[in-house]
Amino acid sequence: MTLEMYLLLSAVLFSLGLFAALSQRNLIAVLIGVELMMNAASLNFMAFNRFSVTDPATGQVFVLIIIGLAAAEVAIFLSIILNLYRQRHTIDAESITELRR
Amino acid sequence: MTVELIVVSLFVVLAVAGGVMAARSRQILYNIIGLGISLFGIAGLFLQLGSPFVAAMQLLIYIGGIVVAIVFAMMLSMPMAIDPPARSLPKTIFAAIGSGLFLAGLVGLLNNTTFETRPTAGDEAWAVSRIGNALLEHYNLVFEALSVVLLLAIIGAILIARRDRTPA
Repeated sequence: MTLEMYLLLSAVLFSLGLFAALSQRNLIAVLIGVELMMNAASLNFMAFNRFSVTDPATGQVFVLIIIGLAAAEVAIFLSIILNLYRQRHTIDAESITELRR
Repeated sequence: MTVELIVVSLFVVLAVAGGVMAARSRQILYNIIGLGISLFGIAGLFLQLGSPFVAAMQLLIYIGGIVVAIVFAMMLSMPMAIDPPARSLPKTIFAAIGSGLFLAGLVGLLNNTTFETRPTAGDEAWAVSRIGNALLEHYNLVFEALSVVLLLAIIGAILIARRDRTPA
């Protein structure tokens, strides 16, 4: 596969994640869309790392950091979801409208 | 060569099909399974791109950690028996238009750009020890900052999700 094919695949995955984050009602599904977008970004890093960088450790370090940040983000997001469900008994993104008065 | 091509296209199909499943399904469990399939396909592509270490980390941390954590959150929050509410049609249409425009923009950008490619480095530059050296020497500050971020995330998650013990 060439660099352009990897970039195209990554663009498709990013758009799928964007669609999920925009259209889903369940907050967990929105989180899944964000995860898809982050993975598209790391695929981009790895593709450029393979095809146009002289020191291949750089891109791999970037991807490892993305994975670590995703883990931290998921921990915070899930605790917020649990707290929300405990207080409101719903995690529907469209029924959390306290600020819209 | 052909076997390699078949394996790579299998990984590509897995990544895209899992992504479609994660983006389109209304049942949250299917979304999570789709995310897992897509992550597995991307891990295979990492392997193909010459980095078994990052592929293993993707499998361990993403599929073994993050997907399992999302499953736990699903079990703790959403009653499975209830049918999920339908998405409103205008919202879906606008989301499709928005992400479709984004995809078209990216593809147009790809068409109009020529990327400078270089021959890839030798095998010893791809060794895992090189990643360790880079993390602890050149990217030392990033490594430490990431450890602080992870610690803060753990403490914050405990603080936010802690059940309030004092009666309200």
